[in-house]
Amino acid sequence: MKNQNRLLTILLALVLVIGLAGNAQAAAVLADLENALMCKCDDKCGKVLLNCTCSTSDKTRAEFSKMLDSGLTVDQIIQMQVEKHGETILSSPSKSGFNLTAWAMPFVALLAGGFGLSKIVEAWKKKGAPEEQATEPEEDESIPSKYSSRIQEELDNIES
Amino acid sequence: MNDIGEFALLVALATALYGCVSYIMAVRGNRIDLYLSADKTPVIVWVCVVISSAALWKGFITNDFSLQYVWAYSNKELDTFYKLASFWGGQKGSLLFWTLILTTYMCVVYFQNRKKNIRLMPYAMAVMFVIIIFFLCLLNFSTNPFERIPLPPEDGRGLNPLLQNYWMVIHPPTLYLGYVGFTVPFAFAMAALISKNLDDGWIRLTRKWTLLAWFFLCMGNLFGASWAYVELGWGGYWAWDPVENAAFMPLLVATAFLHSIQIQEKKDMMKVWNMSLVLLTFVMTIFGTFITRSGLIQSVHTFDEATLGYYFLAFLGVIIVICTVLIITRLPLLKSKNELDSLLSREASFLINNLLLLGIGFATFWGTIFPIISEAVRGVKITVGPPFYNQVNVPIGLALLALIGIGPVIAWRRATWANLRKNFQVPVIVGLVTAAVLFSIVPLTGRSEIFTYMTFILCAFVMACILREFLNGARARMGLEDGGNFVSELGTLTWRNKRRYGGYVVHIGMVLIFAGIAGSQSYSVHEQKHLKMGESFKLRDYTITYEKLTAVEATSVKTRVIAEVGVFKDSKRVWTGRPEKEFYKGQNQPVSEVDVLSTIVEDIYIILADFNEDESATLKVYLNPMVSWLWTGGWVIAFGTMICMWPDRLEQRRRLDRMKKQEAIFAPAQE
Repeated sequence: MKNQNRLLTILLALVLVIGLAGNAQAAAVLADLENALMCKCDDKCGKVLLNCTCSTSDKTRAEFSKMLDSGLTVDQIIQMQVEKHGETILSSPSKSGFNLTAWAMPFVALLAGGFGLSKIVEAWKKKGAPEEQATEPEEDESIPSKYSSRIQEELDNIES
Repeated sequence: MNDIGEFALLVALATALYGCVSYIMAVRGNRIDLYLSADKTPVIVWVCVVISSAALWKGFITNDFSLQYVWAYSNKELDTFYKLASFWGGQKGSLLFWTLILTTYMCVVYFQNRKKNIRLMPYAMAVMFVIIIFFLCLLNFSTNPFERIPLPPEDGRGLNPLLQNYWMVIHPPTLYLGYVGFTVPFAFAMAALISKNLDDGWIRLTRKWTLLAWFFLCMGNLFGASWAYVELGWGGYWAWDPVENAAFMPLLVATAFLHSIQIQEKKDMMKVWNMSLVLLTFVMTIFGTFITRSGLIQSVHTFDEATLGYYFLAFLGVIIVICTVLIITRLPLLKSKNELDSLLSREASFLINNLLLLGIGFATFWGTIFPIISEAVRGVKITVGPPFYNQVNVPIGLALLALIGIGPVIAWRRATWANLRKNFQVPVIVGLVTAAVLFSIVPLTGRSEIFTYMTFILCAFVMACILREFLNGARARMGLEDGGNFVSELGTLTWRNKRRYGGYVVHIGMVLIFAGIAGSQSYSVHEQKHLKMGESFKLRDYTITYEKLTAVEATSVKTRVIAEVGVFKDSKRVWTGRPEKEFYKGQNQPVSEVDVLSTIVEDIYIILADFNEDESATLKVYLNPMVSWLWTGGWVIAFGTMICMWPDRLEQRRRLDRMKKQEAIFAPAQE
């Protein structure tokens, strides 16, 4: 049982670590200015600037290009945009304050689900624990092929 | 005809009310006369809704602009093809279309089951009637598609140019067939709960319905992605828009359900869980409808007159409360007969699969509603866009991809390490070889590229797992006395066990989709250039040359401006792209029509972004690798689902055999 819980924990931890690794590199995503900001066109296209093809997005790109040329950093431009349009200009929530819950909650839910699952499995096992461990026999290479093929066919029928 | 259509809706509502009450009273009071009377109502309601729909379609075909809905979504110049599709172009018509599909499904269920399943049928029909009554109430009293204009105008406003695409005829109906299809398993689940017939009968009755709805929803999502790709002109196919999310969430929950019902069928376990999943799937379809029709969450898909949010919210609340109460009160009857033997088993892998699918579903749900939560808590509006979903869902998706390979290969009940070693040795080697080969080929500089690299390795691992299953099965059959050649035995193997091997084919489709998404997201490049005629620019190995600009008066309301763009590789012309801009009378923004050359390696995707009077033009060209893998994956899924759903005469016999054997097989584990 310990081994099995460990297996589940490892799997969930793997998902969490990959997720956190992704988050840790979020700066790389934010470095892409067009991906970090939404288009603010009159049609409320709701697209990330990078993906928008409207005339407003072209003007915005040109404006950003000039700003970058003038020596402003990406973070400064983003900050300026947030001050001008509000947080809604950002294509994803910031990773601070209340917005952090947006990022954390899915992984917390996943961990809680995994924990609940392991508890349920544990309870199931305690309730219906067999005296004898039903182990699968090692495959005997000497079994003639006609029998192994029959076994395969019967297994197919069982598992369908 | 309009009066008839409007009247038919009222008759449908009255009949549905009568049918619902009669079914319940018949079964409660054991009244056969009422039951026979109620049994006529599904067909009557369906006929009424068909008449009403035909009346609305007639309005579109005959340009009857006295109907406000026809005026709002059609005009004289609109192709008949699009006039037919305008039916579901707005809120009113789409609700009628929803009702049309729902009543059609109800009729099919009725004819399938009227002479059998008497214990569940009256309740299932009553539940479907309740849902139909809700939609008919909306159509009759809140959003009537037959609303008139006192002084009919000469011409209509026309259909939104973005909707004038052949996908408009295919995508919404497919999506609706999926959404509405989940009503059937929901109705039977509710019937099982109400009538306390909680064996796996309701699952057997509705498994194919669930699969059918899942198939349509899956295809609907892919068709939507394909439409976005060719119509919206941003080189992508999925934007994590709230309405896209709304169609994605029920798909995830239904996928979890389709996997976990196998455990109930084989081991009589997880009854509460399966019941909850099927109810949640339906709740998610209504939640999706709520998002589209409430205007509460900003989305490009929201209907113009999105005013029905509160009705759907109330309906959603009532459904959730009733489902929760029913499940709680039936808990003792939903007790499992068997228990899980080991975490190293296929059952456990299905549980983890469910956890991950619901994890992605929850992350998507959370991201969709977080702007509302933020506004409620902080009073600040925020946006939750693609970067959020990509960062949160990709790691969970990768774990899920790994499980697609692990789950079907791992043994039922309890796998041993020897079993694992035997089954995974080859796939792991294939994965490692892929990792080594790709390491020297693909760039690994950014986060996205690392995830893509991991995806490709897992895709190779999963494909090896699945192909190994086919290979071993066919080989085993070849060893039989009457065994044939490999190809014929592969066919026989699949044919004799459609659910299992059809499922594997669906998994192959999923692997292709994962690979397509990874490749196209990470290695896409694009360039935007303003060119004079005859000028060129380089993009990777290609030379793009702007060659010609022509204007065509397509109709009296539409003008097409077409650019001819030569694409050369090693000085040889590969393709001539013809992207265009379409100008519609009365519309501010022109519509871009992209041109795409799709190959197995990459798509060359050209957009005419702008043009000037001096015939210079701005071209945006994307090279999107592996996008075609995505669409191919979709067709493979369709093929696999078809195999799974194909009528199987052996299935009944197998089920009986399995039920007889089940006690013997699993008994030792319970002693």
